[in-house]
Amino acid sequence: MVSFTLRRLGAGVVLLIAISILTYSILFFSSANIARNLLGDQATEEQIVLKEQQLGLDQPFLSRFADWFMSALSGDFGRSWFTSEPVAVAIANRLPITLTLVAVAILLTAIISTLIGMLAAVKRGWMDRAVQIGAVIGYAAPGFVIAVLFVTIFAVQLRLVPPVSTISPGATAAAWFTSLLLPVIALAINAVASSAQQLRSAIIKQLERDYVRTLRSRGIAEREILFRHVLRSAAPAGLTILSLQFIGMLGGAVIVEQIFALPGIGSLAVTATASGDIPVVMGVVLFTVIIVIVVNLLVDLVNGWLNPKVRVS
Amino acid sequence: MTFGISHRRAAGVALTLAAGLLLTACASAEPAPSGATDEPGEFVRGEALRLGVLGDPLSWDPSQAHVGHLLQPYQAVYDTLIMREPDGALSPMLATEWSYNEDLTELTLELRDDVTFSDGEAFDAEAVKANVENFKAGNGRQAAQLADVEAVEVVDADTVVLELSQPNPALEYYLSQAAGLMGSPAAIGTEGIATLPVGSGPYVMDSTSSVPGSQYVFTANENYWNPELVKFNRVEMKVLTDVTARVNALVSGQIDATLVDARTAGQVEAAGKTLSANQVDWTGLLLLDRDGKLAPALADVRVRQAINYALDREAMLEQVQLGAGTVTNQVFGPESGAYVDELDETYSYDPEKARELLDDAGYGDGFELTIPTFPGLESIVPLLTQQFADVGITLIAESVPPQNIQADIAGGKFPAAYFFLFQGEPWVAINQMISTEATYNAFDSTSPELQKLIDEVRITGATSDDAAKKINEYVTEEAWFAPLYRLDQMYFYDPNTITSVPQTQMAVPSIYNYSPVQK
Repeated sequence: MVSFTLRRLGAGVVLLIAISILTYSILFFSSANIARNLLGDQATEEQIVLKEQQLGLDQPFLSRFADWFMSALSGDFGRSWFTSEPVAVAIANRLPITLTLVAVAILLTAIISTLIGMLAAVKRGWMDRAVQIGAVIGYAAPGFVIAVLFVTIFAVQLRLVPPVSTISPGATAAAWFTSLLLPVIALAINAVASSAQQLRSAIIKQLERDYVRTLRSRGIAEREILFRHVLRSAAPAGLTILSLQFIGMLGGAVIVEQIFALPGIGSLAVTATASGDIPVVMGVVLFTVIIVIVVNLLVDLVNGWLNPKVRVS
Repeated sequence: MTFGISHRRAAGVALTLAAGLLLTACASAEPAPSGATDEPGEFVRGEALRLGVLGDPLSWDPSQAHVGHLLQPYQAVYDTLIMREPDGALSPMLATEWSYNEDLTELTLELRDDVTFSDGEAFDAEAVKANVENFKAGNGRQAAQLADVEAVEVVDADTVVLELSQPNPALEYYLSQAAGLMGSPAAIGTEGIATLPVGSGPYVMDSTSSVPGSQYVFTANENYWNPELVKFNRVEMKVLTDVTARVNALVSGQIDATLVDARTAGQVEAAGKTLSANQVDWTGLLLLDRDGKLAPALADVRVRQAINYALDREAMLEQVQLGAGTVTNQVFGPESGAYVDELDETYSYDPEKARELLDDAGYGDGFELTIPTFPGLESIVPLLTQQFADVGITLIAESVPPQNIQADIAGGKFPAAYFFLFQGEPWVAINQMISTEATYNAFDSTSPELQKLIDEVRITGATSDDAAKKINEYVTEEAWFAPLYRLDQMYFYDPNTITSVPQTQMAVPSIYNYSPVQK
């Protein structure tokens, strides 16, 4: 188990470095005119040249990347070119919001999709068909459309929750709850739809296996077969689905955060990418990759615990 | 009706009551003592002013400040040397009076002696000198505003002289904008001021409640030298880049005022909000390649005029902006002083005449013109293409990433471009799109006649409007541009909580233009 964990961590580090190089080079070669965009249309050529020197934009790619990489290794992610805010502070302020959003959404997805998937797999018939149709509809409706619809109905028309986030430093739990309620649901609907469908298939597959027939023939109660054996065997598949959903949600959060003006990582990523704020984009990418690696590692560990075969392979 | 202000004075300036207060507050060097009114009822400060703002101010260092809607946040924490009133008139603020020498190369400013910054530092001539130097060294977005200021001479504690390398007719205006923002001399030049502003403004930033890029909270500056400008206990600015988010926040009452667009205005109006529109930008084509380097046809003035005749401006305004704007043939705004009424009748929609002109110029069989296109032009480009095709010109719209658009236009990569430009003071506009140094004069087009007029504007100071009008006539008749219309800025506020007065040449009001509704 220890060597398994170490191997996964090692792979994570390699992945992290590879993604940093890739992202940095994409940003470097695609984000032209940063100094000009920073200074606006009143700036003179001299001003632009000076700004490029100040930001180190006149340096060649390798030296810029090396500078950034060495500082990042020592924990210094630099400051935003546009706001001068330290990148570490910007991320520390925003990460809790995005993580809460995605974590709650994934928890909801896990519970609801397991229940629905199980019902559909066990009951079959009209229930199963309803779940399947619902899944298609839920999956087809993009998260941002659902989000906009929710805002219009529940926030603007019914005034049940604020349409725009009220989360700020020192905000109350109530503010967090009302601000995150709609975004969480908007994120979870897609995920529930597709996860429930896949969990249903995983459970049906297990139910058709020989061991279930054997258990039944020994007179073991259906309930016990389902909860003690079938669900446990279907769990690895379910976990993998959820971990993929989690990563997908980090992407979905980008749009949902824009719609609800949630000050999370996603909205930070949007502004920084659009303006070519390389230090901030790099910081956001690094932390996102770390989260993805940690989540995958946790899923692998839990899968290993559930199914010893995974550990050797 | 509203707070304590004499009707006589308000009527006298032909503005709304709220603007009237602003003027009475700043028209004299000494602030009128509060309560010195002939109306009953004491002015009651509003609890909070909650604004939805479009963009982050980025750095709070005054040397990095910007114009237009991005000036507003700085006004909360910093005073400017000169105050710009809603109608554009300049009046005293930190400077009580100012005057030029004979040849317009020295501007002497008399300063208030009763102002302190929020860190306790005193405002004086040395502070002005430090700020001007900081602004020039900061290489900020508006650094060009002080490019002509060579040195600052401190005469005594409350007198300072700005020495210019050449006359600059917009300098007084600039001192009411980014270049006039005064930060504490102890804070400017340090790293900290980028995230924590230290000024002498009517409000002080509450840094514990502020999150860069998301929201800024300010509290009233209780030691402010002009209490009448402190009209709220608290100001909150929520950064809402998405127009839908701004609409939702305003309609549901989360904010008191914000800027929306023509397409969402109906929904906001239906929710009982008050429109306080004004015009800041013009939009249309920059016919940049006037020497015909990339598109030889554009070198012929008849071709450029033909393009102007080919445009059905009314139809485009109706379709793209739902009518929210005013069609125009000139690039200078009505408030600028360079505006000439009659010029708007230069090019009425006349495709027949356009075809004739093209024929005369030898382009009767048409030609191809390439312009860059970017997100936001989806509805206008097909209309332009259609109208160009009607007179035989093939318009090719080439997609350009948004971050490259400004550089590509300024760098002369396209013979023409569709763009949105700010309508500023004549000198600002000239240096934005007409002089050979202008960003949007990509091919450095000029002529001896035009250059003479530009020089005239530079040196004629207060009477420069006549020369500026001639420049306007020149570029309109020479068809340097093909302007379509001035856009209405759809600024809405909640009449149940506040009143708001539009600020000339700004899409959003100055911070001083908001007042709480008096019960």
